[in-house]
Amino acid sequence: MDVSDILTSQASKHKSILVEKDIPPDIDPSFLTVTDTNAIDNESYVHERETYLQANARDGIQLLIAALFSLPTLSSPEGPLAQLPAPTTQLPRAKPLPKPKPVTKWEKFARAKGIHSQRRDRKVWDEESQTWVARWGWRGKNKTEESQWLHEVPANADTDYDPSKEARAARRAQIAKNERQRTQNLARSQQGQAVRAPIDREQELERTLATTRASTASMGKFDRMLEGEKKPRGVKRKFEPIERSVEAEKSASLALLKKLGNGHRSSKKAEQDPSGESIGDGNILNVRKAVRFASHGQGAVALAHKSGTGRNSRQKRKGKQ
Amino acid sequence: MLRVVKPKNARSKRAMEAREPKEIEDPRTVIFVRGTHTGEVVNGAMKDLMSLKRPHAISFSKKNVVRPFEDATSFEFWAQKNDASMFVLGQSTKKRPNGLTIARMFDGKLLDMCELGVDRFVSIDEFKTAKPPPGHKPMLHFASELFDTHPRFIQLKSLLMDLFNGEVIESIYLSGLEHVISITVAPSSEKLASVPDAQTDEPLPVVHIRGYTVKLLTSGQRVPRVELVPMGPSLDLSLRRHRPADPELWKAAMRRPKLKKQDVEKGLGKKRKNVEVDEMGDLRGRVHITKQDLTKLQTRKMKGLRGAPGEDERESEDEGEGIGAARPAKRKKKAP
Repeated sequence: MDVSDILTSQASKHKSILVEKDIPPDIDPSFLTVTDTNAIDNESYVHERETYLQANARDGIQLLIAALFSLPTLSSPEGPLAQLPAPTTQLPRAKPLPKPKPVTKWEKFARAKGIHSQRRDRKVWDEESQTWVARWGWRGKNKTEESQWLHEVPANADTDYDPSKEARAARRAQIAKNERQRTQNLARSQQGQAVRAPIDREQELERTLATTRASTASMGKFDRMLEGEKKPRGVKRKFEPIERSVEAEKSASLALLKKLGNGHRSSKKAEQDPSGESIGDGNILNVRKAVRFASHGQGAVALAHKSGTGRNSRQKRKGKQ
Repeated sequence: MLRVVKPKNARSKRAMEAREPKEIEDPRTVIFVRGTHTGEVVNGAMKDLMSLKRPHAISFSKKNVVRPFEDATSFEFWAQKNDASMFVLGQSTKKRPNGLTIARMFDGKLLDMCELGVDRFVSIDEFKTAKPPPGHKPMLHFASELFDTHPRFIQLKSLLMDLFNGEVIESIYLSGLEHVISITVAPSSEKLASVPDAQTDEPLPVVHIRGYTVKLLTSGQRVPRVELVPMGPSLDLSLRRHRPADPELWKAAMRRPKLKKQDVEKGLGKKRKNVEVDEMGDLRGRVHITKQDLTKLQTRKMKGLRGAPGEDERESEDEGEGIGAARPAKRKKKAP
C-alpha cells in the first residue's frame, strides 16, 4: 500500500517548522535570546516594514523554540519544565561577588582534620506533646529541665540545692560560652584584616630606642655608641630667639631668680606644699629630710612609735607627704 | 553616601541581608525616572516598558532634575536607597526631544549608559491582544549584523538583555513562553558593519523594538510551529549619546564565582580521587601499586625441605606463589 499520498496530505495541513538562514543564528537558551546576524533585506524593509520585521522575528523565534523544546525536561503539574543550560552570554553583575565569611576557630580546626560536621536541625521532636519544637529560643526544648514541676535531686545534695536554678545556670553558662567564642572569632577575623603598617612599627621601635638612650643617669651623655647605631633622628636643639618681648623676658628672668632664691629645690612637691613650713618661706629646716634622718629612713610612723607620743602629730603627717 | 546602619531588630536585619551581594543575583530592579520635562510619547513608552518589567520596576512619577551624562550622583543615591541597579530616564528637551536613557549600575556606581531618542511610538494598549502577566519572561530576538561587530550596538544589546531578561534561571515552563520582544536594526551601510571601532561620521541606523505574542501551533512533530501576533509596544529608536563602561569597573562587574563543589563533582572541574575521610575524621588516601613480583622471594631454608639437587628451585617457587595469593592486591595506606 502506498502511504506517501496520505503523508503528504497530512504534512500539508501543518505549516513547516523549518527555517533557512545563511548564517545560523546564535541562540542562548538560558536568557531565551536569539541573535540573528544575517543582513536585513533592504528592499522588503523599505516597502513592507512591519510584515518583514514580524516574519524575521518569527523565523528567529522558531529556531529558539526548537532549541528550547529539545532541552531535557522534567514533568510537573503545570506542564513540562525545560532544564536550561548555563548562559553563554555574559552580562555584568549588579553587585560584586560576596566576600567569603571569616573562618571560625572550630571551622579551621575541622578543615585541618577533615571533619564534616552535620548541621543540626533547629527543631527537635517532642515526645510528650508529639510536635516539633524549637531546640532553643522561644519555647525551646533546652528549657524543659529547669521548668519541669518535679526534679530529681542527688542523694548527696546540699540542703539549699535548687535543681531548677542549677539547670538554668548551666544553660546560661553555655550561652555565655557561645557568646565569648563568637566575640573571639570576630576579633580574630578583624585582627587578620587590620594588618599594622610596617612604618608604624619602625617608628615605634625608634621612639623606644630614643627613650632608652636618654634613660641613663647622665641622660645618655657618656654612653658609648654601638657599631652600626644611628644618631637619633629628629632631635634638635632649640634656641630661643634673640629678640623677645619685654614681658616674656621679664617673666623668664623672674622665674630664674625665684629658682635661685629657693636654692636648688625645684621639685613639684615643694611648689604644691601649701603649708608655711616648707623651705623657701624662711624656714630653714627641711622637715622631710629631718624625719628621714631621725627615723633612719623608716618614715614618720616608725618615729612616732618609737617616741610613743602624739606631740608632733602634725609634723608626722607632713613628713609622710 | 549613606551612613552604614546597624540593624536594630531581626526584620531590618533580614532586609539588610537580602540586599547584600549574592553569588547568584536577583533580577535587576529598574527605576523609571521622569526628567525635568517628559512628553506624552516618553510617558507612554516608559509606562509600556514598565508594564513589561513588572514586578521588578519602581516608578518615580515626579519630575526630577537629572542630567546623568553630567552628574550621576542622584542615580547612585537612588540606587542605594531602593536597591535598584538599573534606570530608565525619560526626558524631553528642545535639543534632544523624547529621550530615553538606559543606565546600568554596578556596586552602587554608574557602569554604562545609552541614550535613545523615540522617533515613533505605538502603545501596548492599541493592540487588541492578550498581554503577558507580570513576571513572565519574554523571549528576545536581536536581528542585525551590528549586534556582533559595532560597539554601540553590542552595548545596546547587553543593556536591553539586562533590562528585559537579565536573570539567570535554571528551568522554565515551556507553556509559559508567551511573548517576544524583537529588536531589529535598520539596514546599514557596509562601511558601518566593517569598521569595528565606529570612527565613521555616518549616522547610526534606527532600532525597531516590537512586541509580539506567541501562538504555538501543532506541526505534527515535537517542536511546534510558531506564529507571532503584534502585541506592542512598538518603538522606533535612534541612538544618541552614550557612556561606555570604565574598563576597571567592567572587569570587576564581569568577575564570575568559582565553580561549586557539586559542579566539580558533576565533571565541570577536577575531582579528587582516592581520598576520603573516615569516621574518625582522618583523611585517608588509597594508593594503587603494581602487583608484587614474588617469584624471586627468598623464603626460609630448611634442611628437611631440601630435596634432590634438581628439585630445589621448583619447591621454593610454589611456596612464593602461596604467599602472594594470600596477600591483598590493594592496600590501604595512610596518606602522607
